[in-house]
Amino acid sequence: MPVMSIEAISALVAMALVAIASAVIGSLGVRVARSTSDFLVASRTVGPTANAGAISGEYLSAASFLGIAGLILRDGVDALWYPVGFTAGYLALVLFVAAPLRRSGAYTVPDFAEARLRSRTLRKICTVFVAVIGWLYLLPQLQGAGLTLTTVTGLPSWVGMVASAVVVVATVVLGGMRSITFVQAFQYWLKLTAVVVPATIAVIFFVSDARTFNREAPPQFPERTTVDVRTDVTLQVEESVLVIYDGIPVSWEPGSYVVAAGSRLEFGGGAKVPVVAGAPVEDADWLVPYAGDREGGLLGTYSLIIALFLGTMGLPHVLVRFYTNPDGRAARRTAVIVLAMLGVFYVAVTLVGALSRLYNPQLLVSGDTDAAVLLLPAAVLGSGWAGALLGALVAAGAWAAFLSTSSGLIVSIAGVLSTDVLRSGKVRDFRLAAVIAGAAPLALSLTVTRLDFSEAVGLVFAVAASTFCPLLVLGIWWRGLTDRGAIAGVLVGGLLSAGAVALALTGRVGDGTLAVLLYRPALVTVPAAFLVMAVVSSLTRKRRPADTEQVMLRMHAPERLGLSRDRLAERLRSAGR
Amino acid sequence: MSALNERSSESTGGTVYEQVQASPEFADLRSRLRRFVFPMSAAFLIWYLVYVLLASYAPSFMAIKVLGNINVGLIIGLLQFVTTFAITTIYVRYANKHLDPAAERIRERIEGAA
Repeated sequence: MPVMSIEAISALVAMALVAIASAVIGSLGVRVARSTSDFLVASRTVGPTANAGAISGEYLSAASFLGIAGLILRDGVDALWYPVGFTAGYLALVLFVAAPLRRSGAYTVPDFAEARLRSRTLRKICTVFVAVIGWLYLLPQLQGAGLTLTTVTGLPSWVGMVASAVVVVATVVLGGMRSITFVQAFQYWLKLTAVVVPATIAVIFFVSDARTFNREAPPQFPERTTVDVRTDVTLQVEESVLVIYDGIPVSWEPGSYVVAAGSRLEFGGGAKVPVVAGAPVEDADWLVPYAGDREGGLLGTYSLIIALFLGTMGLPHVLVRFYTNPDGRAARRTAVIVLAMLGVFYVAVTLVGALSRLYNPQLLVSGDTDAAVLLLPAAVLGSGWAGALLGALVAAGAWAAFLSTSSGLIVSIAGVLSTDVLRSGKVRDFRLAAVIAGAAPLALSLTVTRLDFSEAVGLVFAVAASTFCPLLVLGIWWRGLTDRGAIAGVLVGGLLSAGAVALALTGRVGDGTLAVLLYRPALVTVPAAFLVMAVVSSLTRKRRPADTEQVMLRMHAPERLGLSRDRLAERLRSAGR
Repeated sequence: MSALNERSSESTGGTVYEQVQASPEFADLRSRLRRFVFPMSAAFLIWYLVYVLLASYAPSFMAIKVLGNINVGLIIGLLQFVTTFAITTIYVRYANKHLDPAAERIRERIEGAA
């Protein structure tokens, strides 16, 4: 192991401090919120601002923290769709699902499926998809933790993945973590600080700098730069450039070059940056949507928008968080604050990505664009103590992003596994379920190739949008839904989208329209799921549950009528009898 | 309070549900909600799709420089954040102004009948 630099040590210390601070803040509250009733209890004691901080804290994952800046750096304006879609998805959740679902008294999708359609089979299928969606979502989180550790310390990335999985599962198993809204809120503010501070400093440097984006030329290396290529990469060269390739000086003429993993490239100061194939080369193109006729742009973007807009409501950890509001009015206020919080964060991250094009152009060569946020401090402030401190802050933010989302996901997955698979409410079983919930994605993360984080997250949103979105929207807004229809729709949407995701993960899908739809299946799979659900429900009209009218009324009538039976109150009463 | 209401609704069985369901106030509440949620979502999605269409078929318009590095495409892109936030704020205003009073009327009707 190489001797660690000041930067590496301070970043490691910062990451350890975040984990400890989270555990301490979490354990102060004592109460372990694992079940419905704990969320209800929490809802009486938390104000909208703290609550909004918690929702945002859990929602902004490592993929958001690292991935969006990376995509902006590489793809420019086109990548704006990710942050816009993540925010809009939250709006869709608020408009269509949040309030009625709250009133239904169901706290997870499996609960909702059973309460609305009285079907154990549907419940089981939903449980499977909660686990699948949760695991797929955990995958880029673990890889993000791995990348963070590799970038700041130079350790191999599997060390980071294993360490982070162990830390998260341990915090969940030992309790504390999820318990308190304040942990999540603290992590939101930490993440926001960790992007706003470097973004502000970089903007100040940019303003006092003669450089500009507005050129019909590729970006330039600000100084002599060495790039270690970690994965095979194809580069496009538009203006001839001198490069020292593994110690041998060569001149690259315009064209494309394949560079094998493990190679070392050196460029002189002022050299034009070769850019990873498929990304805009010139700065002027990078600033304009779909410049240079990138293939499948329109189709892919439509599909992405649908996935992000409709997928958010199907994410297990997002849905359950929404119950920590005492009533509909507070829930609505919370929603507005959440959107403001998400918006500020995403704009800051976008700025970091854009400025990285000036300060960290070597990432365009190595393909490691996801490391943009982590490397900005050193690139702007140099390697002194100021750069090290800011670097530590950013590493801490990345770690907080990873911790909050992953622990939320593991609690959600473990919750459904322990009630529906292990079939008991025992704490010991919950702990076992948490270990299973963490082990499965860890195994997966060590074996599959890494996609760009935001791309990987996009795939998960597509699965969520093709399964839980039709179930929730039709279940809440259409009385004609039947159990058979719901099962058929969830299976068709789920198998199609998950199949596409699996194919995309193998990394061998080629080019053309089909490839675009495999990477971004939502445009086909979401309408397919809705259609199948509606048609099969109409064919099995007789299977509509007898209490549909009552359930619908309970979901759509205002809470204060007292029609929305608290499932907790019900359970408590039946236990008391 | 909720426990009290629950008991009363249970003792009267389905009648409370049926009463509410049939009441003009409830129909009013539902139509108010639908009148807002569905057109708003449609407008919102169309605004998104228009951006994508402009980007694909009117690239020269999107590339018009407004100020320094900033072009029309970038401005419209950032406006998407603003609109998302604006729609949520409008929804919250609407809910507070139109949905809550409608819900209140239903409550009065029920309690008046009980």
